[in-house]
Amino acid sequence: MRLRAAIAVFCVVGIGIAAYLTVVHYAHVAPVCVTGGCEKVQQSKYSELAGVPVALLGLVAYAVILGTTLVRGVTAAFVGAFVALAGVAFSGYLLWAQLGPIGAVCQWCLGNDLTILVVAGLTIARMLTEPTT
Amino acid sequence: MARTLLRHPFLVDRNRLLLLLGAAALALVVVAVVVSFGSGGGSDSSASTAATTSATTSPATLFAGLPQRGDTVGKASAPASLLVYEDPKCPYCREWDLDTLPTVVRDYVRTGRIRLTYRGIAILGGNSVIGLRANYGAAPQSKLWNMVVAMYERQGDERTNWITVPVITDAAKAIGANPEQLLKDADSKAVTAMIEASQAEAASRGINQTPSFVVERPLTQPVELNVTGLDPDSFTATLDQALR
Repeated sequence: MRLRAAIAVFCVVGIGIAAYLTVVHYAHVAPVCVTGGCEKVQQSKYSELAGVPVALLGLVAYAVILGTTLVRGVTAAFVGAFVALAGVAFSGYLLWAQLGPIGAVCQWCLGNDLTILVVAGLTIARMLTEPTT
Repeated sequence: MARTLLRHPFLVDRNRLLLLLGAAALALVVVAVVVSFGSGGGSDSSASTAATTSATTSPATLFAGLPQRGDTVGKASAPASLLVYEDPKCPYCREWDLDTLPTVVRDYVRTGRIRLTYRGIAILGGNSVIGLRANYGAAPQSKLWNMVVAMYERQGDERTNWITVPVITDAAKAIGANPEQLLKDADSKAVTAMIEASQAEAASRGINQTPSFVVERPLTQPVELNVTGLDPDSFTATLDQALR
């Protein structure tokens, strides 16, 4: 229960970040930024995947993981862990893009990277400890 | 939580560990496939367009053969005008000018469907006004749109005052304008009047973000485009809708 609550809390944090980035993407405005590279990252080709903002994909992913915390059982734990791990892999790809081709780092992306990493750790822990129903 | 995990005999629960490893591997494969297909093997269409633009379309060739007068490029007989509200320091404006403008010029301006009218507005501070002066200063030499694109090609960090006389001179030389004359015209009352008129028009239309686009046609109300994307496909879809 504690694990599921912790996952839910971090998912809400992730949803907040992803929702903000989705809004500024569609509004064509610059995100609040202290690292100086948010706009460059936001307007790069890596900010979209097949025309869909990656922030929106993140929003959906967090929502799915949050949804799995409402359900008990190994299957829900597995789905949560799978989506979180996919999120970590995708965040890794985007971090590579920021440090490499884009040449700029966005604080919101780093915040998301940290959040999805924590969520992945928690979902893995949940999957390993979830009682079999 | 950590204690729960440490106490848990997961080390002997090989099935779950295998399931977890499988999930991790599957996640990696899914992400790799999605990234590969979603980004078209590492280069999307807008990036390709931008690369093509940079590589093959200079401002001179982009507008070659098209009539330019004042802030407008295109045939006077075109049935509609596309008014483009831009700030020289706006990164999204740069994106539109370098990625999408070539498509608009090729498919709409050259074909006589529309003419383009520049509406420079300063929303990013005093340095933007200097950029506007530089752009409008190219109008007497019939190279305003060339200058707009050349300045976006040189765009720096929007938080810095990158628009300087050397940058303007470099852009002016690149488009084949007379830099001394351009700088002189940039400081003229005529240019001041053009900027003030543009700002006033934007304010009267409630335009406070860039880029913004308005289609004007005779005997009809101006239509502000509700742009969903600045890439060529998204933009032209919206433009087509407005021109119907």
